[in-house]
Amino acid sequence: MATFATELERDSALTLSQAAIGCEFQIRQVEGPACTQLRDIGFCEQMRVKKLTNGRNMLCSVCGTRLALSKDLADQIQVVPA
Amino acid sequence: MSDSSIEARIALVGNPNAGKTTLFNTLTGQNQKVGNYAGATVSRKSGTFFTPHGYKFELIDLPGSYSLDPNSPDEKITRDVLIGDQEGEETPDLVLCVLDATHLERHLYLLLQVIDLGYPVVAALNKIDSAEAQGLRLDPTALSEDFGIPFVPISALTERGITQLKHALRHPFPAPPGRLWKGPAELEESIEKSTKLAETKCEKNPAAAGLMTVADQGPEAKEFIQKTRFQFIHRAVEAGLQRPDEESLALTDRIDTHALHPVKGWLIFTALMITVFWSIFKFAEVPMGWIEQGQEALQEWVGSLIGEGDFQSLLVDGIIAGVGGVIIFLPQIVLLFFFISLLEGSGYMARAAYLMDGVMNKVSLSGKSFLPLLSGYACAIPGIMATRTIPNAKERLATILILPWTSCTARLPVYTLIIPLIFVGALNQGLALFGIYALGTVTALVAAKVLKPRLGKTEAPQFLLELPPYQKPQWSHVLRQVGERAFAFIKKAGTVILGLSIILWFLETYPKSDSDDPVVRQSESFNGQIGEIMEPVVSPLGWDARMGTAMMASFAAREVFRSSLAISYATDEEDGEEMRDKLSASKRSDGSALYTPLVGISIIVFFVYALQCLPTTVVVRRETGSWKWAIGQLAGMTIFAYLAALLVYQVGKLLGYS
Repeated sequence: MATFATELERDSALTLSQAAIGCEFQIRQVEGPACTQLRDIGFCEQMRVKKLTNGRNMLCSVCGTRLALSKDLADQIQVVPA
Repeated sequence: MSDSSIEARIALVGNPNAGKTTLFNTLTGQNQKVGNYAGATVSRKSGTFFTPHGYKFELIDLPGSYSLDPNSPDEKITRDVLIGDQEGEETPDLVLCVLDATHLERHLYLLLQVIDLGYPVVAALNKIDSAEAQGLRLDPTALSEDFGIPFVPISALTERGITQLKHALRHPFPAPPGRLWKGPAELEESIEKSTKLAETKCEKNPAAAGLMTVADQGPEAKEFIQKTRFQFIHRAVEAGLQRPDEESLALTDRIDTHALHPVKGWLIFTALMITVFWSIFKFAEVPMGWIEQGQEALQEWVGSLIGEGDFQSLLVDGIIAGVGGVIIFLPQIVLLFFFISLLEGSGYMARAAYLMDGVMNKVSLSGKSFLPLLSGYACAIPGIMATRTIPNAKERLATILILPWTSCTARLPVYTLIIPLIFVGALNQGLALFGIYALGTVTALVAAKVLKPRLGKTEAPQFLLELPPYQKPQWSHVLRQVGERAFAFIKKAGTVILGLSIILWFLETYPKSDSDDPVVRQSESFNGQIGEIMEPVVSPLGWDARMGTAMMASFAAREVFRSSLAISYATDEEDGEEMRDKLSASKRSDGSALYTPLVGISIIVFFVYALQCLPTTVVVRRETGSWKWAIGQLAGMTIFAYLAALLVYQVGKLLGYS
């Protein structure tokens, strides 16, 4: 059962750049060359994030702070619907 | 400790835009620059204050940092001071951590890192009034229990809670709470080992050095520590912070839907910039008229007081004409700084950086380079200092090298002298000024595109920027900042420009000629002789000898171009006319007008591109660590300016313009 739940969660995980606008997500994993920098600014596992706009640079809201980040960076953040 | 009466040293740390500098100014009564964007503080500043118990503390304002793993040179300063690696700097006795209460969860990470270093810490929950307005309910007692340090809710801006904060800074300081999280046995063992090793090496802060060494050992250890800290914060925030149930579409969101829109955003940005430049001409007209009238009245009064002779000429034609010729631009400079601090204080600057990131990317830079470039419009020196916030070293160097092409305020007197000779009407003149600024900016960006790949291979710049909420500008800060810049300008006019005016007057007046003809007198003076040498160099640009001399003098300070022309025309026998009328009436030896629109454009183009500012060269040397870049930049920009002015004049002439 636990394996099934894990698989289901993995299937529903998507990167922040793929995520839909206006929805709330929870950060599942931050992985990639800029992961330390991303965690420092607030994109850390378990945090809730809301995507506000799409585009080459996207806008997100993390804990009430608005942050702009490039698509390369958003690709390093995996989220699941909150 | 230089001052023996200082009881302790307190370091002020916090995330960028947490309000450190505002708190620093409130506590120490100083007036450091405050901006509503990340990176307003890029170096260390210090001041003193007294607690209610009568202790005198030194407060050190450190650059804003998201964590103690530095991503840019300014963040490194904060880390180095705290772990005792900063040369000539003792470690602080206590750390005052400024947290933005509206973004508490993110700001607690740095606090936890500071606590880990083994310092006694006091946390200031700043912007508490904004947090309350947003419906956030904070529990300082619960937070204090979790973190083992005092949490004091304050508003540095309205000075709420400042007395309580000073009370919390009791001396002697309480024992540091120490590290609040524990890792697995293996990790704890290696932390202990490296701490002991640091002790044997006599490090200033062995606990800090030990932990840092382990964290730096590999990505796994770092990731584990980061995650453990965030888990701790998550638990603490659950108890200490309650959010409003529904996230309302706040004012910031509403403004940003327009201000960051791909089309509307650009329209707003362009409209704002044109309004700024139009206002500089429109609103400065009246006070500039007063200054001009005042200067003429002073010249007449001094002229009537002192009999005709060299002394009268020195005062009237040298000092008053030279210094007055520069002071007249005070209203325009005040207005420019007023608008810049208004945009900085409101939070719009970060939006401008967001918009500009696309453009900056096309020239291999990022939106991060935009804020230093924008500071360059005020003065290149703070702009170059602000490049410390750029994490990528190559991008930083490229930004420093192109930065002097964003027109600084010292060029404004030259532009505003020449523009009215070419264009009529405030709107046209404003648009022309906008065009001049755009010319400098576009060339700077093209130069970055050409330069960046030649500086060596590097990763593509990545954009990550916090967009602070919009807020009403702090009028007291805006006015103080404008006042300071105005004072600095007047001081420069009263010292450097005054000195140079006297020298220029001397060169213009001596050696004396027996002739009554002012043209002959001028040509026989030292200035006339220098002009003769300069003439073959500057005549291909359409300039005459006087302009050549003024250009040479302006390498000491750009504003002197205006003074030099003022002094050289003041000795003409066309008294009673305004300087600009004298310029437009001046003729070449063949009788044709000297200041034609084409010559005006040639002068402006030269000033847009020439780097005539020695302090900038010195700062570039310091920031790049090499004279090679500084001298190369000076020589390159001067040659480019000459060639550009030459091209404009010669091509313009070929096309039949005069």
